[in-house]
Amino acid sequence: MDRVDRILRGESSHGVATMDVVTENWDRSMTMEMWSLGTDYSLIRITAPNKEAGTATLKAEDDIWNYLPRVDRTIKIPASLMMGAWMGSHFTNDDLVKESRLVEDYDIEIAFDGAREGVEVWEFELTPKPEAAVVWGRITYQVRQDDLMPTWARYYDEDGELVRTMTFSDFRVMGGRLVPLAMDMIPHDKPGEHTSVRYSELEFDIDIDEDFFSLRALRSRGR
Amino acid sequence: MAGHFWWSIGWRNLGRNRRRTFITAIGLAIGYFAVVFLVGWAEGLQSEMIENGTGLVTGQIQVHDLEYRPERKIYDTIGGRDGSDVERLVQEIAADPAVAAATPRAYAGGLISSGEATTAGILMGADPQRALGVSRLMRGLVEGRIPEADANAIMVGTEMARQLEVGIGGEVILVVPAADGSMGNDLYTVSGIYRTGMTDLDGSYAVLPLSSLQTLAALSPDRIHEIAISTVDPWLAPEAADRLAAQLAPLGLDIEVEPWTRLRPEMLDYVRLAQSWYFIILAIVFAIAVFGVANTMLMATFERRRELAVMLALGTTPWRITLTVLFEAFALGLVSLVVGAVLTFPLLVWWHNAPPDLSWLYGEFTMFGALVRPVLRVEYNFEMAIWTGVALLITALLAALYPAARAARIPPADTLSGI
Repeated sequence: MDRVDRILRGESSHGVATMDVVTENWDRSMTMEMWSLGTDYSLIRITAPNKEAGTATLKAEDDIWNYLPRVDRTIKIPASLMMGAWMGSHFTNDDLVKESRLVEDYDIEIAFDGAREGVEVWEFELTPKPEAAVVWGRITYQVRQDDLMPTWARYYDEDGELVRTMTFSDFRVMGGRLVPLAMDMIPHDKPGEHTSVRYSELEFDIDIDEDFFSLRALRSRGR
Repeated sequence: MAGHFWWSIGWRNLGRNRRRTFITAIGLAIGYFAVVFLVGWAEGLQSEMIENGTGLVTGQIQVHDLEYRPERKIYDTIGGRDGSDVERLVQEIAADPAVAAATPRAYAGGLISSGEATTAGILMGADPQRALGVSRLMRGLVEGRIPEADANAIMVGTEMARQLEVGIGGEVILVVPAADGSMGNDLYTVSGIYRTGMTDLDGSYAVLPLSSLQTLAALSPDRIHEIAISTVDPWLAPEAADRLAAQLAPLGLDIEVEPWTRLRPEMLDYVRLAQSWYFIILAIVFAIAVFGVANTMLMATFERRRELAVMLALGTTPWRITLTVLFEAFALGLVSLVVGAVLTFPLLVWWHNAPPDLSWLYGEFTMFGALVRPVLRVEYNFEMAIWTGVALLITALLAALYPAARAARIPPADTLSGI
């Protein structure tokens, strides 16, 4: 699990992705540029559409700030809103923070080891550690054995109800690594809705340091 | 004439021992006072609760899209996605005789941020002038003023102002998930700070001009979530709501018109429960009084047993004796009622108009999410006052039944011979 995480992230990364959000009420598409450093820092900046271009989200350790170019201010997302939707998508602010900490917050067991539809896979079962402040009751994660590529993750609530499924697809070599270029998040309580993220550029182990992920940088780079 | 005669005897007997009559009458009068006043207080408390529970934000009637409640999604505006002719709707509603004021509103949930502090809040877009007539929130202004129409100005509660560490003239950033999926955000100036005394409310509701909220949340000017209505009397609301629903039906909008009795059923349940207690209070008070009166009447008849024996010996039928005692009790009841009314009504009027304020003793408290002031406000309930009067007379008669029956069975010869 840890190795899977490392492959997907690298020590640092930089990428460009488009995110399509389909909801009952509207569809929209956004283009964004993202940077990450280790598990603690990441920065996502919207580049299109124009209305939101420049809007940025900075994650530094456990905190998330949003930069709003229209008012030229940053605001910190309060703890109570960590489960709120990130930029109207089906990802939550919490996903940005916790996604990188699965290994720390959950006990991981191999629930299945064998072939599914002709592919050798592991299925991991992640149960929250007693002291971990997490929102999921359980997560299951399928990873292909030969190339360690994740294929899906299923998120269950505390009652064991499947809440959402994330699927990974379009595995290609980009930035020198085999990575899934497409991710789809499907919330099961909202039929017909989904969020799809697709990378168009990705590079790893770039020259970047912690200063890049400061609040000051968040503001100044936005102008 | 005969009836009049026995009446006179009954009445004059009251004068035999004026002090005793007076004390008994006072007892019954206090019983009357207690019931009428307790009911008045209970009604006052209920009115206070209903007025505050519906008057702060809710209004007495609300109009929504059928889909809007309970999830309150930003998309479910009156008339659906296309919105409606808000001005016409509001005017049609305001024309109803039971309607005191009607105001359109739109809501958005969002973040309110100032400096380092950020809090989640409910942003209410309201027509500042019209909202004054419906929502006491607007009248709870403690500092500054109500946001002017079309301005990027906001009114927050004292608790929110404290959390955000902003004052009048301070700048806040609002971020809301807008109806088109974007993140609406803009800078606002705090123009006013209100206080209701309910920390939850003061910490979560922020009011801004309707048009300003619509722009922020990417809603067209035709799209509102709610029309809040205040009625001239809260109890007229259910009837007025049905009337309005029928009146607005031809517009073909999928709307619901709900009075507070359906929006806040727990309040209505409480009122019903309290009202069912009125007759229990009445029964308890007069059950106590009945023994006092019975005792007096027993004394009065025992004292007069020689006189009664003479009457019987002279040919008065036992039924007439019974009647005189009952008449006496009835007359006592009437006297008590007059004393009770003289005691009760001036106080009732006084306390209705100037309720004693116990704020120095107790703080404000909340009931069913409604703020209640610690004032002994009394409301008139004439129906109960009449019922209590009837109960008083029945009590007096009931209390006299046994003494009257005993008086009728006095053996004349034995009594007169001194045995």
